[in-house]
Amino acid sequence: MSILANKDTRVVIQGGQAGVNAARRMAEFCYLIKRPLNVEAFVYPPDAGKTNEIPYGSGLIAIPIYKSIAEATKHHPSLNTSLVYIGADRAMKGGMEALDDAHIKVVSMITEGVPEKDAKLLGAHARKLGKVFNGPSSIGIISAGACRLGVIGGAFDNLVLSKLYREGSFGVITKSGGLSNEIIWICSQFADGITTAIGIGGDAYPGTDYVSYLEMFENDPQTKAVVIVGEMGGDLEERAAEWYGAKKRRVKLIGVVSGFCQESLPKGMKFGHAGAKEGMKGEGSARSKSDALKKAGALVPPTFGALGPAIKETYEGLLKSGQVKPVVEPASLPKLPKSIEEAMKADEVMVPPLIRTTISDDRGDEPCYDGYPASELINKGYEIPHVIGLLWDKRLISKQEAEIIKRIMMLSADHGPCVSGAYATILAACAGIGLSQAVAAGLIMIGPRFGGAVTDAGRFFKYAVDNKMAVDEFLAYMKKNHGPVPGIGHRVKSLRNPDKRVKELVGYVKSLNIKTPCLDFALEVEKVTAVKKDNLILNVDGTMAAVLVDIGFPVDSLNGFFILSRTIGLIGHWVDQKRQDSRLIRLFDYLVNYAAPKRREVPPLK
Amino acid sequence: MAKVLEGPGMGLMKKWGIHVPNYVVVTSADEFTKLGQANDWMKASKLVAKAHEALGSRFKLGLVKVGLDLNGAIAATKEMIGRQVGSITVAQVIVSEMVPHKEEYYCAVKSTREGTEILVANCGGIEVESNWERVKRLCLDVGQQPTAEGLEKLAKEAGFTGALTKKMAEFAGKMFTCFDSEDAQYLEVNPVVTRESDGQLVALDAVTLLDGDAKFRHPDWNFAFAAEFGRAYSKDEVEVMAVDSKIKGSVKFIEIPGGDTAMLPAGGGASVYYSDAVVARGGKLANYAEYSGDPPDWAVEVLTEKVCSLPGIKNIIVGGAIANFTDVKKTFGGIINGFRKAKAGGKLKGVKIWVRRGGPREKEGLDAMRALMDEGFDINVFDRNTPLTDIVDKALQTK
Repeated sequence: MSILANKDTRVVIQGGQAGVNAARRMAEFCYLIKRPLNVEAFVYPPDAGKTNEIPYGSGLIAIPIYKSIAEATKHHPSLNTSLVYIGADRAMKGGMEALDDAHIKVVSMITEGVPEKDAKLLGAHARKLGKVFNGPSSIGIISAGACRLGVIGGAFDNLVLSKLYREGSFGVITKSGGLSNEIIWICSQFADGITTAIGIGGDAYPGTDYVSYLEMFENDPQTKAVVIVGEMGGDLEERAAEWYGAKKRRVKLIGVVSGFCQESLPKGMKFGHAGAKEGMKGEGSARSKSDALKKAGALVPPTFGALGPAIKETYEGLLKSGQVKPVVEPASLPKLPKSIEEAMKADEVMVPPLIRTTISDDRGDEPCYDGYPASELINKGYEIPHVIGLLWDKRLISKQEAEIIKRIMMLSADHGPCVSGAYATILAACAGIGLSQAVAAGLIMIGPRFGGAVTDAGRFFKYAVDNKMAVDEFLAYMKKNHGPVPGIGHRVKSLRNPDKRVKELVGYVKSLNIKTPCLDFALEVEKVTAVKKDNLILNVDGTMAAVLVDIGFPVDSLNGFFILSRTIGLIGHWVDQKRQDSRLIRLFDYLVNYAAPKRREVPPLK
Repeated sequence: MAKVLEGPGMGLMKKWGIHVPNYVVVTSADEFTKLGQANDWMKASKLVAKAHEALGSRFKLGLVKVGLDLNGAIAATKEMIGRQVGSITVAQVIVSEMVPHKEEYYCAVKSTREGTEILVANCGGIEVESNWERVKRLCLDVGQQPTAEGLEKLAKEAGFTGALTKKMAEFAGKMFTCFDSEDAQYLEVNPVVTRESDGQLVALDAVTLLDGDAKFRHPDWNFAFAAEFGRAYSKDEVEVMAVDSKIKGSVKFIEIPGGDTAMLPAGGGASVYYSDAVVARGGKLANYAEYSGDPPDWAVEVLTEKVCSLPGIKNIIVGGAIANFTDVKKTFGGIINGFRKAKAGGKLKGVKIWVRRGGPREKEGLDAMRALMDEGFDINVFDRNTPLTDIVDKALQTK
């Protein structure tokens, strides 16, 4: 037997992530005692209609989420218990909603920091309805071998160590959530374990008191003794003592009392949490509680350390009188399957990796680029070009190289609204498309006809230089095998109307007094092609490509420079259109050459 | 619970129609001088100046001055501000109008398990404590409002007669409204007096304890809460409180001067049992501390540094029950970092450390603590098989 929570308990959890975590712990317990999951529904309006996946053994159970208790109990008429994990400011409303539902008999509130007035109103409302309101600030309720409500009992290993898979003889009522596992553990080590353990919450005025649960334990034949563990303040222990002393009780009572240290503290100095309230005339003091309990016939160990022996003494008395029989432990218990993460941590499995990376690692407190922490790079004066160097070429480039890259980025960041990439982004922005999609639309334009010649230009110039080709030989090779030379030719610029960007970049690189075989070769090629036609000049793609190959960047990365720098411009265009609240663009008729056939009659269908 | 100083407490009472004397809270004599020029009442009546701090026995310390004129009050303010009392510097002074009166009464409203109690006595001041049986009570269930008849009956029971009965009943009614509307846990006015000028009942002081948990529905609570014991918070206590307000879980720290046994236990319940054990074994507590609810390791590290900085400590008790979900390894990581920092800063000389804990990742956490021995720490580590408070017995050598 047990009280409050048993094999028939069916639970709805009100709340979000904290409730899901509790459900996972509850499922672990259900798995240990080989019973189906006792959580049937969640109430969490933001996610209503979805499900929460709760691991059970090696499987996953989908638990539906509803928008109200009424909806949950309509679909799951067997629900009889609610656990409240809603924030303190909305906890009262949620608790009242659960209490007012005819199906729900027990409401246990885990929320901490609930205003005292709200908690008292909930408690009074429950008493009026003849229901139980447990908490707030409850760590949970657990009945050994039958039912776990909340996270009480701790991790799976602790459930096993504390023998919670089977019933014992001791009831536990505690105001301190932090001590609940300790008491359960003590009961399992010094005696045969627990029937039910209840965290009633550490607030000054919890919804229920020791007496209401003592009555229930008294009526539960399996419970032979009850351990109550108090906190400073309040008068719940005195009330328990009064109940215990009022007539002959079947259960034995063991009480530990805290707060004696107050007597030795400087006057006026007191501490503790919400429950620590001083009574007017010594009521609620540790001394008064301890005296009252002793007077009523309860066993009161002098310190917490003496609780174990006191429980042992009680248990041995029960054994001797034949009220309890020695327990035979089950031969085997289910083991909770480990998650991959846990198993790996314990060196129990090796999982072949799905992907492999050699450039960056963000598992620590900050990302490392090729091993260098980002903040250290920043603080030592490195800049974006160095990050590009690390991530694209796995090396820390020099100051000079970084300056070249910086200039390339700045020169190619944007080229007005008319180029295909910018135009596509603008078109998308005007159609109301979001930033990432609109910029992606622009980036998709980068290809052989727009800015995408950098990689190919680099590849072919490098091929020529590596093979020591003469310009004529190279041009013949290109014509025969590939067509026009990438990086040569411009739609609007020409010899007479040169591209300032190219001039700027070539001028700067040349001023550095470094070896630039590719650039030199490209300029030689330009000399020949520009004579043939004056717009067959070395364009900015070709210049970038030659320079980047010269400073050692891999050919496959070269278009990346254009993509990266032009992204700056594309984002600018998108923001620009948004700022202006631009309208949807529709092409004007006069910009279209309607070359389709004239209107004609549709022939009969054959 | 959250204690509120007299100024904001009176402000709340005024908000609900309770007469209070005129008052100002100032942080300098200059500020007060300026207010003195602007407010006629300061020139017209005698004044009372009090240090506006959470200090006990202010009268004895000379931090309450009565019967002052404006210049006297300016002088008193100048003298009080900046005065050092223990670890506290007086930063604020409350100057209020003296209300001439003959009779003194008592009125309080307090939270009880069932609801609320309204307390009234027709004696006041220090007389109440010695005549506690004269205090009469009206008990109300939670959610219940007092009736005019009920309040009048209460006043009559307390010995009020004639026109005063109704006045006191109304006063108590307003106290209840203030209590109920402001999520108070305790409101006390001692004394309540009859103002000679207009015959109104006036609250001469205010003890106000609010429910800090209800702050979310009181956006006008723009004042700071005061320490509930007879002194203001120390710098280290304030620093730990600042950390506490930022994190999931909690860290708490209160200093107790003169102690030699420092506490660093986990959990609000266990921490008191540990403190009890220290006192029971004849030890002297150097502090109260607690961390719980799986706080981040850096927060525990800050708490540890404060604990290690306590003067004159011989033992540090790192106790704890079997945690529900606080990650022992992670929180111990914070404690270990704190210990290392303290040691590097020349602290922890001759200090013994005692550890007992259980819970998620207990083995890893306890192993990491044990490894501190190799770094020269005087540390003793025990697991769940050692009863909770036995490390206190060991530390204080009674076992």
